[in-house]
Amino acid sequence: MPALTNMSLQFGNNVSSLLNIVWLLSFFVFIVYGQRIQVYIVGNDISRALNKLKLMKDRSRKEAVDYFNGTGKASGDPTTRIDEFLEYVTIMPVDLDPQGIVGKIEHITETRDERVRSEVRKMLPSAEPIKVSVAENILEIASSLNMIHKIVRHYYLLGKKTNSYILLVQLQMIMPQVLMEADALINAVDTFKLGQPVGDGIGPIIASKYMLTAPKQVVAKDTVMTVSEYKGRTLYVLKAEGPMGYVGEPGVAIQRVIEEMNVPLNAIIMVDAALKLEGEKTGDVAEGIGAAIGGIGTDKFRIEEVSSKHKVPVYAILVKQSILEAITVMRKEITDASDRVHTLIGNLIEEKTKEGDKVLLAGIGNTLGVGQ
Amino acid sequence: MSSPQPSPPQQGTSGKAKFNVYTIEECPACGQKTKRAFQVGDYITKDGANCSKCGNATKITLIYAEPVVKAK
Repeated sequence: MPALTNMSLQFGNNVSSLLNIVWLLSFFVFIVYGQRIQVYIVGNDISRALNKLKLMKDRSRKEAVDYFNGTGKASGDPTTRIDEFLEYVTIMPVDLDPQGIVGKIEHITETRDERVRSEVRKMLPSAEPIKVSVAENILEIASSLNMIHKIVRHYYLLGKKTNSYILLVQLQMIMPQVLMEADALINAVDTFKLGQPVGDGIGPIIASKYMLTAPKQVVAKDTVMTVSEYKGRTLYVLKAEGPMGYVGEPGVAIQRVIEEMNVPLNAIIMVDAALKLEGEKTGDVAEGIGAAIGGIGTDKFRIEEVSSKHKVPVYAILVKQSILEAITVMRKEITDASDRVHTLIGNLIEEKTKEGDKVLLAGIGNTLGVGQ
Repeated sequence: MSSPQPSPPQQGTSGKAKFNVYTIEECPACGQKTKRAFQVGDYITKDGANCSKCGNATKITLIYAEPVVKAK
């Protein structure tokens, strides 16, 4: 019996020593290889997200090819041209000396847009303008997803190659947002294919209500304007030319109205969709001051320049929505904001201007599925 | 607004949610609104069908999506 007790004590000691060794060993392993293990875990996480991005990228490319082949009735096989287009790059101007950079950016983006449109027209020679614009938008989505995938893959591979935990963990942190934006883009394809208005089109929808019966004139590329009378004021209303998926050039248009057509505007009212913050409700309406317009900034720059030069107050009305809602089919909650926006426009015109004044109303956003 | 037609086919997705897309036709003369399923080619300000109440030509005034309500 004492021998058995001795044996069990000895066994107990052995187990305890073994556990101590395992503990020390794991401690040693984590000290030496801890970062590599974390790199492995984080890398796996990013790899899964990257696969999702790849699926989205491939789907958007296929949708573009199908659209050109089917609905658009492309002449010849457009696959090679589309693949080339997806790799198309826009080189932004040098910003070491930022003076005059806006003009350079505008010139480059205009050249790019013209090039894209002419390429699409070449591939779809007999397509209606709305189909050409839809094809442009789908190509833009496919190109964006291709770029997102390439950039994420670059940092993932670089992080793995250099065993950089910091690089990988930063990538892992922003992946949910990247996936959310990519998801919004891929979901937008269906809406664009069907030519349905998108959430971003709330500005043009509001503007179109004031344009119905008045004669239209083109004031800038893809941008139309009407002149009518509203409560004793002259109302200039502009929006991108619909129902094509255009955003137009509202900056150029407003500048032209003030400086070339010599219209002494007393107020500019801009209606646009705005990205809501988490916790805000879709369709909430906010009022403000300043140029309500997104994009790369060239239109905003022009509007700010001309309005400050001629001392024209710029009022903004914003309809809140998420990025997904802004580029997918128009939600009822967003259209429900229309009545409130019309009331605000009426109030602004009555309170900030007097009879005989001239007011410009600009509906900003993608005007797909919205005529005038 | 007149009552909607029978539930239209699935016509839109946004994220994981499924949506039905509707077109609203409004009569400029009598204000009668008709809600119907969206058809490809519809756009806001396009001429719609004749008004069911007064026979005048209607215009499409809205196109929007509503989430699909699952029947219990």
